[in-house]
Amino acid sequence: MDVCNPPTYDAEEELLRHQKQYSQMDKLLIPAEMRHQPVSTGTTIIAMEYDGGVVLGADTRTSAGSFVVNRFTDKLTPLTDRIYCLRSGSAADTQAISQVVQYQLEFLSAEMNEPPLVKIAANCVRRMIYQYRDDFVAGMIVAGWDKKLGGQVYSCPLGGLLVRQPVSLGGSGSTYIWGFLDNNYKPNMTKKECLELVLKAITLAITRDGSSGGCARLAVIDAQGVERIDVLGNELPKVYDL
Amino acid sequence: MGDDIMNYNGGVALAMKGKECVAIACDKRYGVQNRTIATNFTKIFEYGPHCYVAFCGLATDVQTVAERLKFRTNLYELREQRKLKPNVLYNMLTNLLYEKRFGPYFIFALVIGLDPKTGETFVYDSDNIGAISDNVNLATVGTASEYIFGLGELLFKPDMTPDELFEATSQSLLNGFDRDSASGWGAVVYVIEKDKVTIRELKARQD
Repeated sequence: MDVCNPPTYDAEEELLRHQKQYSQMDKLLIPAEMRHQPVSTGTTIIAMEYDGGVVLGADTRTSAGSFVVNRFTDKLTPLTDRIYCLRSGSAADTQAISQVVQYQLEFLSAEMNEPPLVKIAANCVRRMIYQYRDDFVAGMIVAGWDKKLGGQVYSCPLGGLLVRQPVSLGGSGSTYIWGFLDNNYKPNMTKKECLELVLKAITLAITRDGSSGGCARLAVIDAQGVERIDVLGNELPKVYDL
Repeated sequence: MGDDIMNYNGGVALAMKGKECVAIACDKRYGVQNRTIATNFTKIFEYGPHCYVAFCGLATDVQTVAERLKFRTNLYELREQRKLKPNVLYNMLTNLLYEKRFGPYFIFALVIGLDPKTGETFVYDSDNIGAISDNVNLATVGTASEYIFGLGELLFKPDMTPDELFEATSQSLLNGFDRDSASGWGAVVYVIEKDKVTIRELKARQD
């Protein structure tokens, strides 16, 4: 018996839970695989700063339980020309958040007459996650380039935290590569070194995590713009099979 | 993966018939829900010169049932002084599984066989309490079975040669388990003919 959190009956929560259940008709329309587990971007997402910009990477699998809904998802979503976000957690929640923040930043850039700062974009994402922290399941990474501070990576995990980090990992697959990144990341790497490191990390996570898979999508954001690189399954670096 | 006991470890197996040959294939993943622990866990076991069984489901039960069935088949061979035939094997399996009718093993099984004299082929599909299907052309069990069934039905032709059979089996398996996150990480295909058994390991996506 937990004295600090005594068991309570909450009529409103009961009503909300009842409303969120599938209707009788949905049971007939929704295929068996997708009925019980919500669609989530199982996922591995990484963003890394280098001297002059940021490198982003993600796998391409969206799953509903064990069914793979999309084998070639794009989890790198643009918020502005030079700011991208990486999405992990519930696919619906993160898509909704990025759409709202895209609108907010477009409006803001019209008001200020200049592209928004990465910190502002990250704050918009963080505010949404914090405001609906009891309902959303969204772990996002916002990374980009702006004139003031150059390449930046901000992490906005589940509860609504905002923190700037040189390297940020997210998603279920990230647990398998924290050690790898701790060992291999050094500050002030070149763009090529960063790309190789991100690609290797994603491959390692894909190999171990069931909810991550498919190919690897990478992006490099710097002063000149965004360069997207898709690395298909057979081109991923070789990993020793343990 | 939810808390479905049959999806806890993942895995899939497929069996298909050809002309005087049968193929059985399985993936090699051993995992615990999301996490992949090993990529060398095959689910196909040999019980006689042309008799193979594949088990899919909870990994502990895969190993236990395989070993318990081996115990029974070993005793049979010692008593009868002859090797097993496929129909004897599937009857033993039904009996073994039905003994646990009200506390069953969490596995589904595929039994395949070939009669080396007549070339007659056998493919049987069993649920976890021993309900055996008739002798079918194609059967799959495991977490990705629905996806593989679709491809298998499409690629199956009656009276295939061993090479065509191998192609059809591998393509159904590889493309089917691309849609399932609980199976994959390599595959092994056994093609059983009257005079030989060819075992091929397939390189698959390691995701």
